[in-house]
Amino acid sequence: MIKITNLEKYYKTEEVQTIALNKLSFEVKEGEFAAIMGPSGCGKSTLLNILGLLDDPDGGSYLFNGTEVSGFNERQRAKLRKHNIGFVFQSFNLIDELSVFENVELPLIYTGVKPAERKERVHQVLEKMQIMHRRKHFPQQLSGGQQQRVAVARAVVNNPKLILADEPTGNLDSSNGNEVMDLLTELNEAGTTIIMVTHSEHDAKFSHRIIRMLDGQKVTENVLV
Amino acid sequence: MLRSYIKFAFRNLVKHKIFSIINILGLTIGLTCCMLISLYILHEYSYDNYHKNGDQIYQIDTERISAEDIGARATVPAALAGTLSNEFPEIEETTRLLRLFNDDKTLFSYESKNGISTFYEKKGYVADASFFDMFTYNFLEGNAATALKEPNSIVISEEIAQKIFKNKEAVGNQLRISSSTNGDHNHRVTGVFRPSKSPSHIDGRFFLSVEGGNMEDFILNSSTLVNNNMFYTYLKLKPGSDPEALEAKFPVFIRQHMGKELESKGIKASFFLTPLKQIHLESRIAENVTSSGSKKYLYILITIAILTLVIACINFMNLSTSRSSKRGIEVGIKKVLGAEKKRLLWQFLGESVLMSLIAYLLAFTTVLLFLPVFEKIAGKEIVLPLSQEIQLFAFFLLIAIIAGLFAGSYPAFFLSSFKPIKVLKGKFSNSLEAVSLRKTLVVVQFVIAIALIISSIVIAKQMTFLRSTDLGFQKNQQLIIPLRGSVAKENSLNLKQQLETNPQVKSIGASTYYPGISNPTDWLMYKEGNTMENAKSVFINRIDNSFLQTLEIKPVAGRIFSEEFTGDSENSMVINQTAVTKMGFSSPQDAIGKWMAFDWEGEQHRFEIIGVVKDFHFKDLHTEIEPYGFLLNSDNSQNYLIAQVNRGNFKDLLNSFEKTWKKLIPNEPFEYSFLDKDFQKNYEVENRLATMINYFTLMAIFISCLGLFGLATFNAEQRIREIGLRKVLGASVSSIVTLLSLDFIKLVMLAVLIASPLAWYGMQQWLQTFAYRIDISWQIFAVAILITAVITLITVSFQAIKAALSNPVKNLRTE
Repeated sequence: MIKITNLEKYYKTEEVQTIALNKLSFEVKEGEFAAIMGPSGCGKSTLLNILGLLDDPDGGSYLFNGTEVSGFNERQRAKLRKHNIGFVFQSFNLIDELSVFENVELPLIYTGVKPAERKERVHQVLEKMQIMHRRKHFPQQLSGGQQQRVAVARAVVNNPKLILADEPTGNLDSSNGNEVMDLLTELNEAGTTIIMVTHSEHDAKFSHRIIRMLDGQKVTENVLV
Repeated sequence: MLRSYIKFAFRNLVKHKIFSIINILGLTIGLTCCMLISLYILHEYSYDNYHKNGDQIYQIDTERISAEDIGARATVPAALAGTLSNEFPEIEETTRLLRLFNDDKTLFSYESKNGISTFYEKKGYVADASFFDMFTYNFLEGNAATALKEPNSIVISEEIAQKIFKNKEAVGNQLRISSSTNGDHNHRVTGVFRPSKSPSHIDGRFFLSVEGGNMEDFILNSSTLVNNNMFYTYLKLKPGSDPEALEAKFPVFIRQHMGKELESKGIKASFFLTPLKQIHLESRIAENVTSSGSKKYLYILITIAILTLVIACINFMNLSTSRSSKRGIEVGIKKVLGAEKKRLLWQFLGESVLMSLIAYLLAFTTVLLFLPVFEKIAGKEIVLPLSQEIQLFAFFLLIAIIAGLFAGSYPAFFLSSFKPIKVLKGKFSNSLEAVSLRKTLVVVQFVIAIALIISSIVIAKQMTFLRSTDLGFQKNQQLIIPLRGSVAKENSLNLKQQLETNPQVKSIGASTYYPGISNPTDWLMYKEGNTMENAKSVFINRIDNSFLQTLEIKPVAGRIFSEEFTGDSENSMVINQTAVTKMGFSSPQDAIGKWMAFDWEGEQHRFEIIGVVKDFHFKDLHTEIEPYGFLLNSDNSQNYLIAQVNRGNFKDLLNSFEKTWKKLIPNEPFEYSFLDKDFQKNYEVENRLATMINYFTLMAIFISCLGLFGLATFNAEQRIREIGLRKVLGASVSSIVTLLSLDFIKLVMLAVLIASPLAWYGMQQWLQTFAYRIDISWQIFAVAILITAVITLITVSFQAIKAALSNPVKNLRTE
C-alpha cells in the first residue's frame, strides 16, 4: 500500500542544514499495523507528515497504492487525503467550537456526503466508539480518553484505507491509553492499515511490526506477528 | 452545507464575545454614520426635483466686477425678465420673485364674526402671475394658473390656511397683510397649496400678487437694467433650446442694453444661467432665495462617513489577523481533514459577512431611532421618496456585504494559506508582515481620530472666538422689539416713550436694521470733489437719535445723533471708519463737515457728515467691515425698537412691555428677541458643523479605542508566557504595564505626528472662510496629544494591568 524509497527531507535555517530523513526506504502492506519508534528528533513525525501528505519530501519516491504522490500539488493531496487517510494526534486536535457530533461529521462534509447519510454514519461510528451519549458535548467538556475516542471516530468516519496515529496515547493515562489501543487494533482487524508513531514499547506491542529509527534512518525492523 | 457554515459562524461569534462585540459594534457605528450622512447628502441633492418642466427652467444670475469687488448674485433688476423675453424667442416664459426683504415677519390680520385675529408669518414673497405656472405646486384650493393674476391676491400654504380658517374653505376670504416691504393692504385668498415633501430652494409660505402692493409701481415701471438688483428671475426655455447658446448671446445683449450705464460706473457685468435643480448645491451663489447648500461641507461629511467605515473595517481586519494564531489550529485541523483552501476562504469570508450583516441590521435600526436627533443636528427634515429610501438601504446592504468581504479578505487569505503541520506543531507565529500590517492599521485609525480631535478643538475655539469677540457695540442685554404692522410703526415713538419709563430700561433706540440681520439697503456714494465714477457702496441704516447711544457705538470724530441737537436733518450722516478710508478722506476729522452724495436720475443727493463712529461689525465675522452710514429717520418707518435693559427680573420686564404694547397696539401680537442671540444665528451653519464633527469625532475615537482594546487584549494574551516568565524573574506590575502599553503609545504618537499637519492644513482652509479668525496655536496640538494619550493609556492599560496581575504559574502552564 505504501512504498517509500530513498526518502529525504532537510530542514534549513540560515546557517545549518539538518537532515530529518536520510534516504529512508520501507514498505507497509495493506491491512498491516506498523509502529515507528525512535528517540526525539529522529524524524518520526516528519515521516508521518510526509506519509500523510501534509509535507513534501526533498527527494526519493513515495508510492501510495502504486501511484507516485511525492509530486502532487496542494489540491491533489487534499483530495487523496480526505478520501484515504485518517489522522489521530497526540493532542487530539479537536475543534473547540464544534460539538462531538460536528467534529466527527467534518470529514464527511469535506468529501461531500449528503446530510442524511452523514448523520447515519456519524451515529454509527459514535456508537462503535461508545461516545454516542456525548455527541452534543463540546471537547472541553470531555475527559482526555473521551476526546481521543472522538478523534479516532473522526479519523475513521470516512472509512479511510490508512490511519496515521502520532503518539495517540501520549496525553492519556494507562487505562484510557489501552482503550484507544484496543480501538486501533479493532480497526486494524477490520482491515484498516495503521501506521503509528510512538515512544511507548507497550503500545508498540499492539502492532505487527516495529520500525526503529535514528537520525533519519531506519536502524532495525522487528516483526512481532 | 450553508446551514453548517452559518451555524459555525454563529457559534464562533458567541464563543469569542469580546471580539464579536468589538467588531459588530464598530461596524454598526461605521455603517450608521455612513447611512445618516448619505440620507443627508441625498436630501441635499433632491432639491427642486419635482417640478414638471424642471429641466427647462433656469435662474438668471449675474456676476459683476468693479474696482472694489467681484461678486455673483442671484438677483437682477425687475425689467430684465421682460427685456430678455422680448429679445430672445427661445424663452417661453419668465417669472420673478421678490423677497419681502424688509420683513423678518409679516403681520396677518383676519376679521371674522368673532373679531380680529392677528399673527405673524415668515417667508413671504411677491411673485409674478406666471409663478405657479412655471413651478409645480400642489393646489388644494384655487387654480394655480390664475391664482396671482388678479390684483391684491394672496396664495397661502396649507398650514397658514389651517391656522386661520381651520377646516373651512380659505379661497375668497380677505386677509390684511401688513408688510414693511409691500405696505399695508387687503388681499383676497386665491389659492392654498401643500408644499412638496421634496425640498425646494424656494421656501415661500405665502405669495402676494405684484399688483396691489407698494412694490407694484417699482416692479412694473422700473426700466433700469443695471440698478435695483432685487429680483430672483427664472426663465423657462422652449423645449429643445440650448441654454449655452442663449448664454453666449448675453454679452451682446449687455453691450446693447446696459453698456453705457455700466461703463459710466466702471462695472463689468455678465449673466449666466443656473439650471433649477442645481440652484441649491451647484450655484456659485451662497445667498439665493434660501441659502445654498455647501458642497464643501458635503465633501467633509462624505469624507467623515467613509473614514468611519474605513476605521471600522480596519478594526475588523486587524482583530481577525491578530486572532489568526488561535484560529490557525482550526485551519490546520480542517486542512488535515481534507478542507481545500477555497472552502476555508469562503468560511472566513462568510463569517465576516455574517458579522457585517448583523451590524447592518443594528445600524438600520439605529438610523430609524436616531433620525429625529440627526435631523435636529443637521437642521433639516430629511424626507426622501420611498423608492429612493429602499434603494439607499439596499445600497447599504451591498456596502455592508462589501465591507464584510473587504474586512474579511485579508484574514481569510492569510488564514486559509496556513501550512497545516506548522500550526499543528505550534510553530505558527505571526509573520513579521502581519505584525507590521496591524501596526500600520492602528496608526491609520489614530491618524483619523486625532485629526478629528484637532479639528473639533479648532472649530470649538473659532466658535468661542466668534461669540466672544468685541463687535464694536454692546450686544448683551439688548432686547429687540420688531414693529411690523402699520399701527406699531405709527405708534413707535409713543411706545418708545412709555417703555422708557420702566426703571429697568437704560435706553431705547429705533432703526430700520440692527447688526447681525440682513441690511439690504446700500448706495453707491462718492465724496465731495469726486463723481459717480469713484462711487463706493455704502450700507445705509436709518435710525433715531438714541440708537447709537443704545448700542454704545462710539464716536471717534464729530458727534453722533442725539436729542440735544435738534438741528440734524435727514441729510445729516454718521459714517464708520471704514467709510472714511474707502471714500478717500484723510482722517475721520477730515470727513467732518464734508458731504457724500449719490446721483439718482440725474439729480445729486448730498449728505453732510456730522460724525464718524468706531468700526463695528454690522455683519457677522465671515465678512470684513464695509463702509456704513447712519441717517436720521424722522418718519414712522422704523422696523425695530432696541432696548438696552439692566440685569434684573426679565419676566416682569417683558410682562410690563407686553402690557404697554397691548394698550397701544391691541391688534398686533407682541414679540421680542435678543440681539446677541440674533447675531449668533449667522453662525448656525458652523454650529451645526461643529456639533456634527463633535459627534463623529466621538464615534471615531470610540471605534478606534475598540480596536485598540481588542489588540491590547490579544497582545496581552499572546505575551502571557513572557509576562509569567518576567514575573518569576522579578518584574514588578508597573514595569509589565509599561512594557505592554509602550508599544501602543508609540504607535499613537506616530499617528499624532502624521495627523497634526493634515489637520492643520484642513482647518487652515476652513478658517479662510472667516474674515476674522483664530490662529491655530501649538496649544491646540498639545491638548489633542494629551487627550489621545490619556484615552490610549486608559484603553491599553486595562488589559496590561489585568495581564500583569495574573498568576505567573498559571500563565507558564498554558504553554
